[in-house]
Amino acid sequence: MTSDAWYDEQDRMSPDQLQTVTFPLTRWGRHGYEEEPVRAFIAEVHTEMVRLINERASLWQEVQRLRRRILGTSNGNDGVLFGKDDAHIHAVRILSSAQRTADRYVADAQAYSGRLTEEARVRRDEIMGQAQQHADMLLEEARTRARAAAVAAMDHDGLPPQTDQERRAIHAELAYLRTFSEVYRQHLKIYTEDVLRTIEDWETKERAASRDSSLGGQHRPGIA
Amino acid sequence: MDIARLKSSFARIAMHGDEVPLHFYADLFLKHPETRQMFPVSMRAQRAHLVEALAHIVTSVEDADSLTAFLRDLGRDHRKFGTLAGHYDAVGESLLTTFAYFCGDAWDAELAADWKAAYGLVASVMAGAAQEDEQHHPAYWRGTVVAHERRAFDVSVLTVRTEPRFEYLPGQSVAIESPARPRLWRYYSMANAPRADGSVDFHVRLIDGGAVSMALTTGTAVGAELRLGPPIGALRLDTASGRDILMVAGSTGLAPLKAMLEQLTGLRRPPEVHLFFGARTAEGLYDLPSLEKLTGEHPWLTLVPVVSTGRSPRRTGALLDVVSGYRNWSAHDAYIAGPTEMVQDCATLLTAAGTPVAQIHVEDFGWSEP
Repeated sequence: MTSDAWYDEQDRMSPDQLQTVTFPLTRWGRHGYEEEPVRAFIAEVHTEMVRLINERASLWQEVQRLRRRILGTSNGNDGVLFGKDDAHIHAVRILSSAQRTADRYVADAQAYSGRLTEEARVRRDEIMGQAQQHADMLLEEARTRARAAAVAAMDHDGLPPQTDQERRAIHAELAYLRTFSEVYRQHLKIYTEDVLRTIEDWETKERAASRDSSLGGQHRPGIA
Repeated sequence: MDIARLKSSFARIAMHGDEVPLHFYADLFLKHPETRQMFPVSMRAQRAHLVEALAHIVTSVEDADSLTAFLRDLGRDHRKFGTLAGHYDAVGESLLTTFAYFCGDAWDAELAADWKAAYGLVASVMAGAAQEDEQHHPAYWRGTVVAHERRAFDVSVLTVRTEPRFEYLPGQSVAIESPARPRLWRYYSMANAPRADGSVDFHVRLIDGGAVSMALTTGTAVGAELRLGPPIGALRLDTASGRDILMVAGSTGLAPLKAMLEQLTGLRRPPEVHLFFGARTAEGLYDLPSLEKLTGEHPWLTLVPVVSTGRSPRRTGALLDVVSGYRNWSAHDAYIAGPTEMVQDCATLLTAAGTPVAQIHVEDFGWSEP
């Protein structure tokens, strides 16, 4: 077994340790850092540490490449600037960065579509809530007016209450129902037209928006 | 094989984070361009899966039985992606190149030979399981949508007929791929016990920004073709326990529980079952008519629909409050399915109230309530 001189993880801190580190909390009444900013900072340090480790790895590869080149030249083998392996590593880097770009495009498109559906959901809940409220209002108004109409019908009826109570009750009921249905139908018609218009509006907008988002999702890297 | 050294070199490689799988896939696609089309456009989730699987293999290397079971599942599951025996060599080569690159000067012939041998074992178990599976099952099942009911603003019920017939156990789930979102596989539970005509129901909930759920709920009409992977999942009805049953379903978490309910209707003496079905709004109780019909036909079944917000003639309040306020469930078998948080909270609640952990069976649907 050779020595692991390049990066001996036994003695040095690894990014993993940053992800699992915990500190004891301060007791009540003492000063201490707020947890969230500390966590956010550790996450940042973690990202930076991984980046540095990777930069170092690629520098190490570069040193190896140059070393090979010098040794290769002195041995009289190939003195080319770029060996076959170097070209491959270079291609791997280009492809990796293209893939990262593609990932970002897809993530953006997805986030956008997520926002759209979320907005649509909220908007829909609003419309439904309003509709419910409005319906309650209409119902209440229709009831009030119908009740008034029924009372009026009873007052207009000249018959004494004892002689034809049943007939008067039916009259009143009829007047109530007629007025109720008229008022309600009219209100409902106006309201339905209004809601339909809103929905059409909304659909047109959504259709336009989903066209945009599908364009984003279609983006492919040139390497696929 | 020096396992300690394999582990320590893996720890060193893993320090490079996302660069490792990024390098691996770029190397693989450059050397074998034909493998690129087996993957989705965005590779972000794929890279995380690879690292997770590698880490799992490395940490459980001493537990041969569970590792073998994991690898066999992995091998079978890879058939649906179109993985062939020849791909394993290509992957092995790129994996070794990648490890060598990130190990730096700690990489030597000995370590290379050890990794090669270790990968050889992994690949042979995976490929072996895949090959065995080939004798009995297709790599994937072709499905045709025969019915699509939009039950709510964000819930669809799809009925799919497959070729060949799809065999599964109630409670299991399956990865589905829609041609509208190629190479993106998402898991859904079968929502019915196997039927004579072989058709299968799926309850699909539109997730904000969810590429596949969007395609399935809004872009999949009757006649559309889907692909189904092999049935998976450990959620099963324990028919031998003799205990009564509590079922708690959050939204489309109902699917696997409904399949198990249908299985119960076929038993000679089914236990008493309480099903709590929760949703945010009354509209979210998208399957009530069918559940009420079941309740009417089977006196052993009690249905408690719960709505958490808005007005409803149903019970309102937090689903879990209703469950825990109903009675003590410590002598019941519990089956819980739904959003991650709900499932965890429900399991915690039941455990605290005395239900033994062994009696709690869960299926986590991964998403959370908006």
